[in-house]
Amino acid sequence: MTKNIDLTLKVWRQKGAADKGRFETYRANNISTDMSFLEMLDVVNEQLAVDGKEPIAFDHDCREGICGMCGCVVNGRAHGAEKGTTLCQLHMRHFKSGDTIAIEPFRALAFKVIKDLAVDRSALDKIIQAGGYISVDTGGAQDANAIPVPQEVADLAMDAAQCIGCGACVASCPNASAMLFTSAKVSQLALLPQGRPEAARRALNMVRTMDALGFGNCTNETECEAECPKEISITNIARLNREYLKSSFFSRAM
Amino acid sequence: MWEYCGMARTNEGLAMAQKMVQELRDEFWKNVKIPGNSADFNQSLERAGRVADFLEFAELMLIDAQDRQESCGGHFNERYQTEENEALRDDDNFCHVAAWEFTGDGKAPAFHKEPLVFENVKLTQRSYK
Amino acid sequence: MNWITGTLGSSIGKKLMMAITGFSFCGFLTAHLAGNLTIYGGQDAFNGYAAHLHALGPLVTVAEVGLLTFALIHVITGVILFLGNLKARPVRYAVNKSAGGRTIGSATMPYTGVILLAFIVFHLMNFHFVDKTNTTIFAIVSSAFTSPTYVAIYIVAMVTAAIHVSHGFWSAFQTVGANHPKYMPLIRTLSIVFAVIVGVGFGFLPVYIFLLA
Repeated sequence: MTKNIDLTLKVWRQKGAADKGRFETYRANNISTDMSFLEMLDVVNEQLAVDGKEPIAFDHDCREGICGMCGCVVNGRAHGAEKGTTLCQLHMRHFKSGDTIAIEPFRALAFKVIKDLAVDRSALDKIIQAGGYISVDTGGAQDANAIPVPQEVADLAMDAAQCIGCGACVASCPNASAMLFTSAKVSQLALLPQGRPEAARRALNMVRTMDALGFGNCTNETECEAECPKEISITNIARLNREYLKSSFFSRAM
Repeated sequence: MWEYCGMARTNEGLAMAQKMVQELRDEFWKNVKIPGNSADFNQSLERAGRVADFLEFAELMLIDAQDRQESCGGHFNERYQTEENEALRDDDNFCHVAAWEFTGDGKAPAFHKEPLVFENVKLTQRSYK
Repeated sequence: MNWITGTLGSSIGKKLMMAITGFSFCGFLTAHLAGNLTIYGGQDAFNGYAAHLHALGPLVTVAEVGLLTFALIHVITGVILFLGNLKARPVRYAVNKSAGGRTIGSATMPYTGVILLAFIVFHLMNFHFVDKTNTTIFAIVSSAFTSPTYVAIYIVAMVTAAIHVSHGFWSAFQTVGANHPKYMPLIRTLSIVFAVIVGVGFGFLPVYIFLLA
């Protein structure tokens, strides 16, 4: 049943990375429970613009949970308290009229606040650039069935490839570690034969880059797994550990 | 644009739409209100820039649609149709790709064309029958 | 040497050192507990166990040096990891809730670790670095645990140890990459069982001696 609710929002406002930032309180009245969380913010922003105030900056793009662009910490939970959803898939029916909602940006040393709730997650791109690819030389495309891949392995790779790179794992990790992200990116390639030739170098370079960017260390708190909108498993982190240690101790890659 | 530069177009409709878009553009540039400032990250400014683009592009589409006095694919001018109401092309005059050069605000764009040359296939009417 | 320091200095390398040293402490705890259980056999059994242990001579020294080295690695790496993790999030969340992943053990690792370090120093001062020429270890232990304060300190320390290993045990498996859908549920259960054995096994000894006296 659609109904309308009134909310109090405590929103993190920050002019830029150099600004200290603070919470500001806004009213969000007459919000339809059919709205998504981002649509609710749109409504608040329209009112702010009409009032001559600066709208709240927040990241968003596809609004159907596949692009990885949106994400804030809502009442202490990355993407809100619903399991396996991004912020754009969080509906206002999960809130009650009169609720106070605290909205903060994803916080980590490696994620600088651009403005308000929008954060710079290009650090994740840098990890990908360090090895999250396979090098295919030019030439004719080979037959799709030339390299047999068992279905369950393909499924595992696909599970890892679900990662949309939103950064909720970093945001929810008590140590701001990017291990779930990195492990998903390493796993999706390490599991498949096409990814094996570069596997050793990939694991080393991606972990080194991750460390250099100022992410924290994984202490197996498993908060990332619980918060990931794509429900990526920490078995991927174990796989990354294996890949990394194997590359370090047994491969010729330096 | 949906009404006058959509599925089926008429010369009158296109001319009227161009005037409407010009008026809308004038109003946009006169009354646009963008919160924040240009020095910071400003999503409102980004969106306003996109609206300005849309308005400019809308007029360009209308100019080109009026220039192309034939029907061709998605451009269906009601004046040019076969007896069976299919698009009637005019390959003698319009077998080209048009490019419009920006010559300054408020000035008509300059027309450039690149002829389409077919060596292996013959131009013909598409038939779904 | 470069690749070795590079590997051990990385985040996963540091975790590997924590895991390996942690594993050996689990082994040590098991052996220590097995030895301590001889207390239930009475004075002679316990003193006999101590005598057997000391009869190993240089092996004891090797084990002691090994444990000390591992302890230093575990503590120093732990501190580096803890500080690194603090630095990785300079601005904390105003509202922070768990999504259900954390346990008491995982959330308190650095703190239970510090308590355990303090306890180990205290423990060694009491029972290890003492003059044993005119007395037996059983006598030292029995007299110490006549004090309710001592008993309380030991129980608190053992509960802390149990909490620490409840996360540390399975976490070490995960860190070395041993996470398999067939075995992980068992490992996580074992982690809790091991924690309970450590907590109750060691924790009840002071109580037993206190009651005996």
